[in-house]
Amino acid sequence: MALTGDLSVFNFADILQVLAKDRKSGVLLVEWKDIVIAYYIKDGELVFARPVDKVFRVYTDRDFDKLLDKLRIRKEDLHKTIDKFFLSRLGNKEGIFSFTPGFIKYNSDIPVFYPVEELIMRASRVLTPEEVERKISDEMLIFEKDKNWENILSKVKLTEEEKKVLDLVDGNRSVADVRKAASGLDTLTVDRALYGFLATGILRRKKKERTQRPSISLDLLAKIIERIKKL
Amino acid sequence: MKTIKKIKIVVAGPFAAGKTQFINTVSDIKTVATERKTTAKGEKEVKHQTTVAMDFGKIRIDDEHELYLFGTPGQSRFDFMWEILGEGALGIIILVDSTDPKTFHEARRIINFFQSRFPVPIVVGANKQDLPNAWSADDISFALDISEDEGIPVIPLSAKNKEDVKRVLLTLLQIIREYIS
Repeated sequence: MALTGDLSVFNFADILQVLAKDRKSGVLLVEWKDIVIAYYIKDGELVFARPVDKVFRVYTDRDFDKLLDKLRIRKEDLHKTIDKFFLSRLGNKEGIFSFTPGFIKYNSDIPVFYPVEELIMRASRVLTPEEVERKISDEMLIFEKDKNWENILSKVKLTEEEKKVLDLVDGNRSVADVRKAASGLDTLTVDRALYGFLATGILRRKKKERTQRPSISLDLLAKIIERIKKL
Repeated sequence: MKTIKKIKIVVAGPFAAGKTQFINTVSDIKTVATERKTTAKGEKEVKHQTTVAMDFGKIRIDDEHELYLFGTPGQSRFDFMWEILGEGALGIIILVDSTDPKTFHEARRIINFFQSRFPVPIVVGANKQDLPNAWSADDISFALDISEDEGIPVIPLSAKNKEDVKRVLLTLLQIIREYIS
């Protein structure tokens, strides 16, 4: 299945979130205006990035270890490619992305210098107000910490501001309450932090307690189901 | 004269998600539509006509009951209609254009809207799966931040395909049944 889109409407935090959730492996290709970069993803983690002059070259080098040998890159230096071709470009929102799953063979252990959760947080820190509004769309939203939040948090280096925001999320405060309580922090900083926490899985939306019991009898419902089946 | 009781399901979703098509595919009657020419920049390039108030189709259940499918307008400037149409709904189907990730955040916003006002079962239909570049239902679920405990399944479909539309409706009805029993 395709995973393609435009960075201007589906940013890196969003993309990495999807890749990480399913622990996908493959290559994410981003065609920027000035350069095409291939991002190598293994089990949801970004492990390597390289510019490519011809897209087809990405698909001819399927063995990751051999590719590194060919490019004369040591595994311990892989993170430098992420610094250069990923982190430095987070503010650049004009690009088309496409992810191709599979096809790259990762023979050996590949070091993960930047856990994907850390990269998602970094990507969240450069979101524009317009981008942030897409996920933090309603100030009445209430977030709570995921049951696995401490484990995820151990992979991320939070800023002091982000720590402050996280402390304020308690499953009762709405986004508006958190913004108000985070004295000294502007709304964008608070919202970027919430966006990152949501995308990494540290936070989740608080489930609404269902109070409205469906006003229909079981017999009638069974009748509707039978009718739909026969359509 | 017998009064026909109306049962309502709302079909919502972002602009051009395929809501009118979804209803048309299973409705007994030709969908009653309130479509107007699209005028907004960015919309008229996508389709010429758009729903401005609601669509509705119906399925006759028996002599006393009809199932109404109400389609909401996709643009958030018409969200006052979502509130009106959501009232009394048995369940809500949110359709998403699987080929258009720029609408995924809007879809989540619509889910939030209905969740906060109408705590009834919701299913998401990942529409246009017949088109190239369609995202998988799983990936759409991740992109929409749907957590497991929200209990919102994401069903792949093509709204042109009757069996697909039936599957989405039946999934919603099964969830409703679980709530009752």
